[in-house]
Amino acid sequence: MRMWRNFVDLGAGLWTTLRQLGRISTVSYPEAPLNLPPRWRGRPTLTRDPDGDERCVACQLCSAVCPTRCIELQAGERADTRRYPLTFRINFSRCIYCGLCEEACPTLAIQLLDEFAFSKQHHADFIYEKDALLIDGTGKHPHYNFYRHSGVALGDKNKGEGINEKPPVNVRSNLP
Amino acid sequence: MKHVFYLDGQEIPFVPGQNVLEATIAAGQDRQIPYFCFHPALGSLGACRQCAVKMYSHDSKHPPRITMACLLPASDDLQLVTLENDVHTEHREIIELLMTNHPLDCPVCDEGGQCHLQDMTVQTGHSVRHYGGPKRTYRNQNLGPLVYQEMNRCITCYRCVRFYQDAALGEDFGVFGSRNRVSFGRLEDGPLESPFSGNLVEVCPTGVFTDKVFRHDYVRVWDLQQGPSVCPHCAVGCNTTPGARLGTLRRIRNRQHPEINGHFLCDRGRYAFPYVTAHSRPLQPRLKGETSRQEAVLRQLASRLEEGRSGFLGSPREDLQSNLGLFALADCLHAPFAAVTSSWAEALAQQCLALPQAPSLQEVAAADRIVVIGDLDSIAPMAGFAVRQALGRGARLTVLASSRTGLARKGDYRPLRPSALRDQVAQLADDPCLQGGRVPVLLATAETLGPSGLYALRKTLEKLPANARAGAFVNRPNLFGAAYFAADGHTERLQQALRQREINHLLCLGADPLGEDWGAGAWRTLSSGLEGFALLDMVDSATARAAEALLPVAAFPERAGLFVNYEGRIQAFAPVYQREAQVLHSAVHGSGFPDAAGGMKHPLGPPSPLFWLGRLAELLHVHEAWQKRLDFYLHFLCPAAPDPDSPGVLLPDTIRARFEIATLPLPPTVGPEQWELDIFRWYGGETLADTAEDLQSLAPLRGLRVHPDVQAASATLQGPCGQLHLPVIPCEDMVQGVIAIDQEGFAELGLYPGDPVEVTWEQEP
Repeated sequence: MRMWRNFVDLGAGLWTTLRQLGRISTVSYPEAPLNLPPRWRGRPTLTRDPDGDERCVACQLCSAVCPTRCIELQAGERADTRRYPLTFRINFSRCIYCGLCEEACPTLAIQLLDEFAFSKQHHADFIYEKDALLIDGTGKHPHYNFYRHSGVALGDKNKGEGINEKPPVNVRSNLP
Repeated sequence: MKHVFYLDGQEIPFVPGQNVLEATIAAGQDRQIPYFCFHPALGSLGACRQCAVKMYSHDSKHPPRITMACLLPASDDLQLVTLENDVHTEHREIIELLMTNHPLDCPVCDEGGQCHLQDMTVQTGHSVRHYGGPKRTYRNQNLGPLVYQEMNRCITCYRCVRFYQDAALGEDFGVFGSRNRVSFGRLEDGPLESPFSGNLVEVCPTGVFTDKVFRHDYVRVWDLQQGPSVCPHCAVGCNTTPGARLGTLRRIRNRQHPEINGHFLCDRGRYAFPYVTAHSRPLQPRLKGETSRQEAVLRQLASRLEEGRSGFLGSPREDLQSNLGLFALADCLHAPFAAVTSSWAEALAQQCLALPQAPSLQEVAAADRIVVIGDLDSIAPMAGFAVRQALGRGARLTVLASSRTGLARKGDYRPLRPSALRDQVAQLADDPCLQGGRVPVLLATAETLGPSGLYALRKTLEKLPANARAGAFVNRPNLFGAAYFAADGHTERLQQALRQREINHLLCLGADPLGEDWGAGAWRTLSSGLEGFALLDMVDSATARAAEALLPVAAFPERAGLFVNYEGRIQAFAPVYQREAQVLHSAVHGSGFPDAAGGMKHPLGPPSPLFWLGRLAELLHVHEAWQKRLDFYLHFLCPAAPDPDSPGVLLPDTIRARFEIATLPLPPTVGPEQWELDIFRWYGGETLADTAEDLQSLAPLRGLRVHPDVQAASATLQGPCGQLHLPVIPCEDMVQGVIAIDQEGFAELGLYPGDPVEVTWEQEP
């Protein structure tokens, strides 16, 4: 009886192996492109808002949250008081594609591409400056503009003209 | 007996008179109770309703009730609870009410990361806003170059008004509007007038008032390198916390010193730091005006010193060790040394040192009879702030000055010509303005009063009750330290040696004898006898431009050192950061690792003066003797060098005795029909501060301030060292017969405050 059971198990195992005959299981990466899931986390980019201005306001939350400390930036200020990153540097030889920067980014500026495996001759070439990170598009969030939601005035947007804002109060009035 | 109450079962010690919140914060348990409108220096208001605690009574008759911790006097065995649901609900709901109109600004708000509102919101657990309606908005005001306003973020805690009006006695800032339209600002756009306006930034618990200078070169606080430092802009010696990143200094914040600056800092201390990053700051050694290698400059300087015909000039602007290092080097080479640039300034420093123990600013704030001589606000604003605090507590203030200063408007003002100050001070002991008080305090601006006036002040003090105190202020951080080892007539001896061609070379440390230091007029004539001079300094000056050899030195936040403040308190400051050249665009790829890669380091900034002096001593083969002398002098002055985090050590009284017999120059005699000079300063004016662009945009016009009864557009003043042509600025507040000019003007004329001057009035500008 026990011997019969052993033959059945052996046969089942053999059948599993035989079933794979004729199927191709290996992928010829990198010649053949991978079919990545839509939420794949690759390298970060900086996107622009629908008006075409860069979304990043240099709040430095990404560099604070980055577990490998690979993001470094310096804030600058435009003539119209808009904050922007004067420099934005990511060291991709340190980046682990964890996506925490994307989660932390309050203006949806940082979005992750599906690019994850890129090779360079030198370590220094892995340090991407802002011009290599900034793309000309809105990425996954085509309509979001941080400055329409925040309370600060900027350019043609005055106080009270943002989304869900009352017109500015008249502080000289004592009427109820 | 130890007093305690219980908060969530934990013992909290308190001093009778404290309220529960104050005691909890002092015990370091403030994570338990969120709060907004309470401020340790401004007191309780009970406006925000945030600091709720539940109080249990000792008997079972009264049910427990929720009350505000900031309004609840601490009493023994009080049982308080915050961990129960209803207290927590109260905390959360009050935060939600305060946050109703708060904009979603945190990413672009400079307060983010150091925001009290952020901390309290996270602490109480409020995360979802139930209110979905439109938010209230405000138009912002332009409050000048120092403070940035974003009124939407306000939670109406009234801290700003309580500071500006009640503590700093400012008049141009207040509260407007009614009910939920309350707004804080000026009546009209314009720069804030108070010399303490920068404190709004620290007092505001959220981002309504933020630092406008920091804004231009912003970095989040968690990325800042910070450390303990001492303010180098006047003799008060407030404790500061500089913050730097990537090798550049970004901001200065107040560091609390219980006896000096408390919770606040003046605008000069807060906004004068850009001298560190100024384009004009010398960073490379220079030889005859050309950038040169440091070894070449050192060799050249050493060969000059080897000739044995050099003089040494220290400075009250530099720290104690550097001055001592220069003194020790002069000693090793048997060369003449002076710590200040003129005999008048030397006598002034000696008379300052001879005054008995000066009151700390906390003692000034506790005084009830105060006499201020001269324009205290413009020399040492924080001393003026302490006077304001005393005024708030009901002190009586008398101001003796030649113009109606900011402080004079707050108390009894006695308009006096500078020459009359001395006699007035001599009679103060019997004056009614000091009678009837418990703690009389006299505060003088040393330069206005002059050496003989300071002597009169000391004599007056001897006649006053034993608890009477006097302090003299200058706008140099280390006058006491530098003057300490300059014995009688050192400056005169140095100038004499130069006149008689005994020396033909000068090594200066942080001094500006050809620019705006006292006695610069005399030095300008003497400098023709110099074959060359060397300078160690951190700012660009007339002297630096003319120097044969220039060795740049580290700025104060970049090195360690000691300052001796107006009380004779020796305070240490620590190096906060190392200067590196900030590289905005990384080096070309492949040619080395930029900073982000942690690879190539950028060249460090200039070293401290002691490094240069030590290298010079090595080249002159006197290093061992130099080091021995330096250690000996330092040990003699402060046997136990203070720690930067400690409150400092006071010079012993025995050291002052030496200066009580110092010789006194004869006071100038001024006829009643003669014009007299007085010094005009403003609160942001000081050698280092003069390179801070944002602060200097507030500077008053340069000119000659006289009473408006003079009908002239400009005037030429004639002094022993030259003449000065300046436009006339009519000034209602000036006393008749007095002309106020800045220190640069005094330097050009070769005169001192209180001196008579010849004037030619002109109708054309």
